[in-house]
Amino acid sequence: MIDTLIATLVSGLVLGSLYALMASGLSVVWTTLGVFNFSHGALMMVSAFVAWTVSEALGLGLLVGIAAGTLSAALVGIIIERLLVRPFYGDRNMLLITVMTTLAAMIILEKSALIIWGARLKQLPRLIEGEISIFGATISAHEALLVALAPLLLIAIWQFTVRSTVGRSLRAVGQNQESASLIGIDVSKAFAIAFGLSAALAGLTGALLGSIRFITPTMGSEPLVKAMIVVIFGGLGSLGATAGAAYVIGIIEALLILWLGLYWTPFALFLLMIVVLVFRPNGIFGGRE
Amino acid sequence: METMGRYTLPVLALVVLAFVPMVVEASFTRHLFIIAFIYAIIASNWNLSLGHCGIFNFGHLTFFGVGSYTAAIAAKTYGVDPWVAILLGGPAAAVAAFLMAAPVARLKGIYVVLVTFAFGQLAMQLVLSQSDITGGAQGMVRIPYLRLGEYSFLKDYKLGYYYVALGLLVVSTIFIKLVIDSPFGKSLKAVRDSEEYAAARGVSVSRQRVMVLVLSAIFTGVAGGFYSIYLRVASPEVFGFGTLSLALSMVLIGGAGTIYGPIAAAIALTFATEALAGVRGLEEARFIVIAVAMILVLRLAPGGLLRLFEPLVPKALRQR
Repeated sequence: MIDTLIATLVSGLVLGSLYALMASGLSVVWTTLGVFNFSHGALMMVSAFVAWTVSEALGLGLLVGIAAGTLSAALVGIIIERLLVRPFYGDRNMLLITVMTTLAAMIILEKSALIIWGARLKQLPRLIEGEISIFGATISAHEALLVALAPLLLIAIWQFTVRSTVGRSLRAVGQNQESASLIGIDVSKAFAIAFGLSAALAGLTGALLGSIRFITPTMGSEPLVKAMIVVIFGGLGSLGATAGAAYVIGIIEALLILWLGLYWTPFALFLLMIVVLVFRPNGIFGGRE
Repeated sequence: METMGRYTLPVLALVVLAFVPMVVEASFTRHLFIIAFIYAIIASNWNLSLGHCGIFNFGHLTFFGVGSYTAAIAAKTYGVDPWVAILLGGPAAAVAAFLMAAPVARLKGIYVVLVTFAFGQLAMQLVLSQSDITGGAQGMVRIPYLRLGEYSFLKDYKLGYYYVALGLLVVSTIFIKLVIDSPFGKSLKAVRDSEEYAAARGVSVSRQRVMVLVLSAIFTGVAGGFYSIYLRVASPEVFGFGTLSLALSMVLIGGAGTIYGPIAAAIALTFATEALAGVRGLEEARFIVIAVAMILVLRLAPGGLLRLFEPLVPKALRQR
């Protein structure tokens, strides 16, 4: 019994790490630009495919592949910001319009990936082979790496936004664009940095996920939908609340799978989310918006 | 005199559409028209909440899916007459809309997008998990078809289905027009354009939002019911990103906040995507073309393409 519970908690931790990486990227873009990026999951997928091409098809090794994937996701993210988000700054309906343009970007990326890489399932080798035992629950070393990496990355982003000048300028822009530009912050550069950083995060997550799950053109939509649940629970406003919510959702999901089975879990999660929203419209951890 | 002018173009379009089957005998072309009419109902009703009331509703296809599965289950599992099954899609979708609207009415901005979207996912997960009722990921097949007395609608190259679909579109459009022109419709615009002012003038913002979502679901659900009965299939695909973005592009390209724009765009886009699908190598790329078109319209003609032609239409004929 205890063994099952520990195994469940550990698999919840793996899910939570994945969701935390996804959702924190969404949160960075949201707090800086006020844009919800629907193509976030697709960026993950682009990176996984590029990583596969570089490391498997070209044979340059996995680390090079992951780096190339992450960079290409960042690049695509910056292009999306420039072409699909920037023209609508200041528009009264910017929020709605950018939801639509990033949704269109998602379709374009997914269909392009299908045309370029085909429908055959692909998978990356693992970064570290072997398995690791945590309190008697066994997971692959690669998944353990994801679990270890997630908090480090989250802390790095947090420190970046709190301490570094560039990071602080992102927050300043998020709080008040006019004042930020008055004190000499390059607002459009801050937007590009926020989008690029968020996309790179999605890219790294995608490249790492490519060793655990199959790489398909639609591999990003399930994590994106889960990340949406996370931000509804945690609110989009603060990185800490978003990351916290990601782990809570990951563990709840693992427990629900144990308790209700694989089929009912997504339904229960969505139902839980809607109930939460009725009583806490800004999320459980989200105090203010 | 002015009333005559206002209705000239739509009535003219209707007359043309009514005569199409006399000229077009090919079963496939008629099929495209039928699908276009269904999409026109989805898009124009979606526009009711998205364009006219400004609700960031991304769960509209859920109403369609609920109608589709309601009709499929009623007709196939319970042996309800297919005509009745189609109509049952309406109230079922309205109930779904009410359930969705309850949390949405209190939310703002991006959270409305997230929740309405998640509601669609919830419905899809329910369909997938209840595979003994809904057929799960495979969907339902061999759903009973329409009959009128002894006449089977499978005959005459879809002639019957064509007129049923067109009839549904006409009734749905009249319904939308009545809603828009009523005092209720004007209060929706007030909620969209200035929530605070509307509230200050005694309009209950939450109540109007719930009402418009429920109203927009009725004909969408009926269209969903017709879709299942016509194709004789119900599949969870209707809840997916693909259908959602296609219908959304129709609303946007046709012009959010207009009445006839999404209808015209639905017909144009259905034929355009089908034409692109015929070109070798473009089977998947056509979705890219539509997505790009959607972005370009948002960028260059935010009022929709139909608005671009507005200056060409004499003032008496204009209808918003």
